Amino acid sequence: MHMADALVSPVVGGTMWLAACGLIGHSVRRIEASAKDHLVPLMGVLGAFVFTAQMINFTIPGTGSSGHLGGGLLLAALLGPHAALLVIASVLTVQALFFADGGLLALGCNIVNLGFFPACVAYPWVYRVIARGRYGPMRGSVAALAASVLGLQLGALSVVVQTQASGIAELPFGPFAALMLPIHLAIGVVEGCVTAAVVAFVARARPEVLPAADAGPARSLRPVVAALLIAAVLTGGLLSGWASSHPDGLEWAIARVSGAEEAPAAPGTWHARLSAAQERTAVMPDYAFRQAPRDARTDGSDGASAEPATAKPADSSALPLGTSVAGVVGGAVTLLVISCLGFVFGKRPRAV
Amino acid sequence: MPPVIEVMDASYVYPDGTQALRAVSLCVETGEAVALVGANGAGKSTLLLHMNGTLFATQGEVRVAGVAVSRPTLNHARRTVGMVFQDPDDQLFMPTVEEDVAFGPRHAGLVPDEVERRTHEALARVGMVHLRARPPYRLSAGEKRAVAIATVLAMAPDVLVMDEPSSNLDPRGRRRLIEQLRSFEHARVIATHDLELVVEVCSRVIVLDGGRVVAQGPVRELLNDEARMLAHGLERPHILRHLHPH
Amino acid sequence: MAFRMAVERWLDVARMDGLARQDTPVHRIDARAQAVTTLLFIGVVMSFARDELSALTPFFIYPVAVMSAGRIPAASLLRKLAVAMPFAVAVGLLNPVFDTRPALAVGALNVSSGWLSFLSIVMRCLLTVSAALLLVACTGMPRLCEGLVRLGVPRVFAVQLLFLYRYLFLLADEGRRMTHGIALRSPGARGVRFRVYVSLVGHLLLRAMARAERIYHAMQARGFDGNMRPQFASPMRLADPLFVGGWALFFAVARVWNLAEALGVLLMKGVG
Repeated sequence: MHMADALVSPVVGGTMWLAACGLIGHSVRRIEASAKDHLVPLMGVLGAFVFTAQMINFTIPGTGSSGHLGGGLLLAALLGPHAALLVIASVLTVQALFFADGGLLALGCNIVNLGFFPACVAYPWVYRVIARGRYGPMRGSVAALAASVLGLQLGALSVVVQTQASGIAELPFGPFAALMLPIHLAIGVVEGCVTAAVVAFVARARPEVLPAADAGPARSLRPVVAALLIAAVLTGGLLSGWASSHPDGLEWAIARVSGAEEAPAAPGTWHARLSAAQERTAVMPDYAFRQAPRDARTDGSDGASAEPATAKPADSSALPLGTSVAGVVGGAVTLLVISCLGFVFGKRPRAV
Repeated sequence: MPPVIEVMDASYVYPDGTQALRAVSLCVETGEAVALVGANGAGKSTLLLHMNGTLFATQGEVRVAGVAVSRPTLNHARRTVGMVFQDPDDQLFMPTVEEDVAFGPRHAGLVPDEVERRTHEALARVGMVHLRARPPYRLSAGEKRAVAIATVLAMAPDVLVMDEPSSNLDPRGRRRLIEQLRSFEHARVIATHDLELVVEVCSRVIVLDGGRVVAQGPVRELLNDEARMLAHGLERPHILRHLHPH
Repeated sequence: MAFRMAVERWLDVARMDGLARQDTPVHRIDARAQAVTTLLFIGVVMSFARDELSALTPFFIYPVAVMSAGRIPAASLLRKLAVAMPFAVAVGLLNPVFDTRPALAVGALNVSSGWLSFLSIVMRCLLTVSAALLLVACTGMPRLCEGLVRLGVPRVFAVQLLFLYRYLFLLADEGRRMTHGIALRSPGARGVRFRVYVSLVGHLLLRAMARAERIYHAMQARGFDGNMRPQFASPMRLADPLFVGGWALFFAVARVWNLAEALGVLLMKGVG
C-alpha cells in the first residue's frame, strides 16, 4: 500500500526522506565498492521488468480475486539487498511521478516501507538464512513466504505509524493497524507464493544467476531470526492492543518502537529523535505529534507555527484558520478566479 | 602491415558446456568487406563477440591489428573494432540519440568539444542529424539501425563488425543501409542471412557451420555453388540467378 | 480482462513523455529549478494546519499557471488525479466519523472539524499530486534525472533509473504481446491461472536478464568502465533562478498571510 502525500506531515515526510536518502547513499556506495559494472544495466532492466510484471494479474484460486507481483523480495533475491533497494526506489519514483501513486512528499515513506523492509530486513535476515542458496520447492517456499510476510507486515505497521505520527488522518492507531495488518498478511502470502515460484523457475532455467549455496556466512542465524520474528509479532500485537485501549497511546507506541533494539527500529529512532527535537524547539505544528491535540487546537493555537517566527497570524485568538466566513468567501472566490485564469490562459497558446 | 583481424584456431565453449566455436581461423584485411554466413546456431554471433573481447577464446587466439586480444589489451581491441549489435534497442540505451552517439567518445576520454564534433560527424554520416534530440524508442527500425551505426562510427574504429544489420528493415531502409555499407572505407565484417546484401556489399564470404569454417572465398564463386550452400542450410541468392555472366 | 487496464497505465507514461517534449516557456526552465520549486511547493502546502482550507486555495495558482503555460491538457491531469485520490480519500473520510466537534456554522449548517480536515486532505492531495505530475510532464525523465544528478543525486541511481525508463517501453510491449497470446487462447478469463502466470513472468524475467547482459556488452564495446560520464550540460539561464525565486516568494507570502481570507474581508467590506 502506497503512503499518500496528503496524509503525511512535513516532519514525518522529511524524516523518511532523510532515512531514504541515507539508505540510497549507503547502497550506492556498496554497489560502487563491489565494482560489479554489469549491475547498472541489470538494475534498470529489472526495474522495468517489475513494472511490467505488476501489470499482469493472475487469478487467486478459490477466491475469484486477482493478485500481482510486488517484486521487492524477488529483486533482493536476484540482485542482493543494496541493488534491490535502489531498484525499488526507482520504481516508486516513477510511480510517484507518472501515476501519482503515493506522491513526492511520501516517497521517502514508501521507499522505507516497500524497499527497506523487504530488501534490507526480510531478505538478509529471513530469506537468505532459511534458503541458504537452495531454491527447491519446500525450502524456497518457506523462505519466500516467511520473508515476504515479515516484510509486508513491517511495511504495513510502518504505514500505520507514519500516518499516526503525521496526525492528519483522524483514524485511531488500533483500528487502523487491525485493518492494515491482516490485509497485508494476505498480500504477503500471495507475494511469497509468487516469489517462490518465480525464483524456482529461474533456478531451473538459469541457476547461475542466483546466489550459490553457502555463499553467505556459515554461522547459524536462525536463533536471531526467530527472536526477530517473535519480537516483531509481539511488538505488533502489544502495540495494537495498547493503542486501542489508549486513545492517545501513540506517544507510548512510538517510544516503544524506537526504544526497541531490533533492526527495523532504525527509522523509528530517527523519527522519535527528530520529533523530540521539533517539540523542544516548538517549530512543529501541534498535530504532528499529538500529545493532547484536542486541547491544543481548541484553546486557540492555530497550528500554523510550522514556519518559525514568521507564521504568527495577527489575530491568534481567532478560530482555526479557514473557519471564518471571510475565509470561506475568500477561498471560493480565489478558486473561481484561478480556474477562470487557467481557462483563459490555457486556451490562448493554442489559438496563437 | 598485419591484418586488422586475425582469428587463429579459436575454440569457445559456453559455461553451460555448449561448444560454439571449433578451431576457427580467418583473416580480415584493411578496408575489406567480409561476409559471415551460416544457419542459425552456426556460431556467427559468438565469433563476432570474440573480435572485441566481449568473449575470450577458450583455445586459440584472436589478434586485432596485430595485438592479441586479452584483458590487458581490451581497450585497444574496443577502439579498433566497432561492434553493431543485432538488436539496436540493446545498443541505444541512452535517453537521446545525441547522448547515445556521444557515449563512446566520452568514455574514450575525449574533451567535450571533440565529443560534440564526433557526434555531429557520425550522425551526419548516416543522415540522422535531424533526430539528435529524439529518444531512441521514438525511432523507426531503419532510423534505429542508422543511429546504432553512428554510435560506432563516432568512435573512429578501423573495423566495423555487424550482426544481422538488415534484420527488421523495410525495403527502403534496407536499400539505404546497403548504400551506406558500400560507402564505408573501414574494414567490415558482416554476419547475416541476407545473401543479396552480401552480393552487393562484400567481396569475400566465410561460411560457418557447427562452429567451424567450412568454406571461404570470393562472393560470386562461393554463393553460386548451390549444392554447397544447401548443404550448410543456406541458399543461392536470387540476385545471382538473374545476373548474366560477363 | 485485467491486463488491458494495466496497459492503459503504460500508455500513460508514453503520453506524459510526449507532453514533456513540447517547447513552451515552462519546458525551457531548467529541470533543477522546476524540481526545487516543486519540492518547495509540496513542503509549504503540507505545512499548513490540518483543517486549513481557505489559505490553501491561493496555492492552486501554481499548478494552474504551470499547466496553462506548459500546455498540459487539464483533462489528462484530472484523470490521473481521479485514479490517485482513493487511498487518501478513504482514510480521510474517517476524519468526519472520529472528529465531530463543530467548527463552522454556515447559516443553519453545522460543519464539524472532521469534515474540514477531510476537505483539507482532499485539497492537499489535489495540490501535491498535480504538482508532481506537472514536474515530470514539463521536464521529462531524461532531463529530470540529469537535473537531479546535478543537485547531488548519485549518478549510479540516476543512470539505472534512466535505464528503467528506457526499457520500460520495450518490456511492457514484450509483456503485452505475451499476455495477448495467452488471452487469445483463454477467452473470458479475468486473469491468468497461477501456473501460467509464473511461467509468463519467469520467461519475461529471463528475457529481461538476457537483454541486460546484451546491453552491458554494448556498453563495454563502447568503452564503459563502470563510471558514467556526465552528459551534455545545458547552462542555467536567468529565467531559472527567477522562476524559483518568484514562486518561493509567492509561497512564502501565501504561507504567512491567508490571502483568500484577506480577499474575503475586502469583498465583504465592499458589499457591506
